[in-house]
Amino acid sequence: MSGRFAASNKVAIVGYAHSQVLRHGDRTLGVQAVETARAAIADAGLGLEQIDGFVSSSLLPSAGGQAAEDGVSTVSSAWLAQHLGAEPRYVAGFDGIGQITGSVGIAVNAIASGAADYVLFHRALHNPAGRYHANPMRQAHGPMQWTAPQGFFGPLAMIALPYNEYLQRYGARRESMAAVAVEARKNGARIPWSYWHDRPLSADEYLQAPMLFDPVCRYDCDIPVDGVAAFVFTSAERGKDLPHPPVYIAGYAAGAPAHRRLPLHWPLDDIIDGGAQTARRLWANAGITAAQVDLPQVYDGFSPFVWLWLEVLGFCPPGEAHRFVESGGIDSDRPDALPALSGGGALGNGRMHGIPQMLECYLQLARRAGDRQRDRATIGLACHSSPHFGGAVVYSAEAF
Amino acid sequence: MTERPLPVPDEASAPFWSAAAEHVLTVARCAQCGQFSMPPDVVCPHCRSSDPRFEFTPVSGRGTVRSWTVVRQAFLPGFDDDLPFVLVDVELVEQKELRLVGRLLDGVNTDLHVGDAVVVGFEDLAPGVAVPAFELSR
Repeated sequence: MSGRFAASNKVAIVGYAHSQVLRHGDRTLGVQAVETARAAIADAGLGLEQIDGFVSSSLLPSAGGQAAEDGVSTVSSAWLAQHLGAEPRYVAGFDGIGQITGSVGIAVNAIASGAADYVLFHRALHNPAGRYHANPMRQAHGPMQWTAPQGFFGPLAMIALPYNEYLQRYGARRESMAAVAVEARKNGARIPWSYWHDRPLSADEYLQAPMLFDPVCRYDCDIPVDGVAAFVFTSAERGKDLPHPPVYIAGYAAGAPAHRRLPLHWPLDDIIDGGAQTARRLWANAGITAAQVDLPQVYDGFSPFVWLWLEVLGFCPPGEAHRFVESGGIDSDRPDALPALSGGGALGNGRMHGIPQMLECYLQLARRAGDRQRDRATIGLACHSSPHFGGAVVYSAEAF
Repeated sequence: MTERPLPVPDEASAPFWSAAAEHVLTVARCAQCGQFSMPPDVVCPHCRSSDPRFEFTPVSGRGTVRSWTVVRQAFLPGFDDDLPFVLVDVELVEQKELRLVGRLLDGVNTDLHVGDAVVVGFEDLAPGVAVPAFELSR
């Protein structure tokens, strides 16, 4: 049995839209989603009556325990289809970890199987009022009883433990991570809709930022925002007749953690070993190797993920990513470097989950990146979340 | 009386919290394969038995530090007076990769290293409620 995805390069992205990214939106998230969806459909040269599939992910990724309200703090595909007045044949949502890459897989499968001809894919992210992860919990039920009463709670602790494990194991320094944040913000500053537009970060600012959960400082975390992105997927065949060059999905893979752990306990070896399996499945599924990727967009919701993805995908040797990045290895302005955060990532745009990675692949491969257009952008790769839990999608400008 | 969240024992975890109240660390052990699991599950994660009949078995409480973080912001109530504090990721000696995360009660001015030996300690949060934490072994 071949590992190659049977629908490799048979489905394409043919249009997109992206809202402004704001700390707190001036309009309700659902309104922003409706307008962004309409803009994406128009961008693809289509009408609403042609959109027969809706796919998304709608997790509110806060530890605050807020009750999610569809159309206000999250936007599901069902909500969006209803409020657009669409009549879809297919509606689905992804509810695992690695929301963007997971839901792209569902959209691709829907087109490839014929469940839908044109899928509207979206992600709407909200920044609720108050401290993002603060939770007033006084009783810890279920899985949380094993961690919260002991003081182990929230995504900062989740990433701080494997990050410190990495620093200790490889003799790396947290100061080396400045190069990740500076690179993300440099590129994000060039993106008009980014929360950080025109606001690059200096290494000094990074190093002076307050520590939150050592070795994690403020600028190792993406900032919570309100924002919406939408893309239109269709078959490669139908995509040929549309206004913009289709960007094909060559393949995808998701993580499948091998070990049962405490909630939010992500030991370094789980990430590395699980990530290696994700990468192996990705190359087999897409039918390429790492050497063929000229636009890898690694996930950076927490900066240590950048080092981890670079290593598990084989872009640098294990334990070397800190040196690789610090010596300019991912500098998007150096012709010989790997532009791994050229789209600004989440650190450079705001907490849009894996959207900045996906969008950069689309814009560069469709040659729609404007002033930022890169000469060499044929095969892109967009990651989301952790290598062992999240996933990655390979995009191609050509159907190979 | 602490404002920290208190564990709510359920049918499966009640023996763990009863033992913890007596300052005894127990870990769920599969009756089929004898392997420990933290936290327990409905299927044994080691032998995949769907009838693991987990028993909370006392363990030594000894382990080694695999990682740590210094917590400088609390997202839960009741921890503000303890900030900053250290959380340690500990591998218990009883089984490879049997890991627990808890507070290190020695304070933040501790020179920590991967592999340092620790032993379980308990924090009494309320009458009849104690949660596991760790202390460096001397």
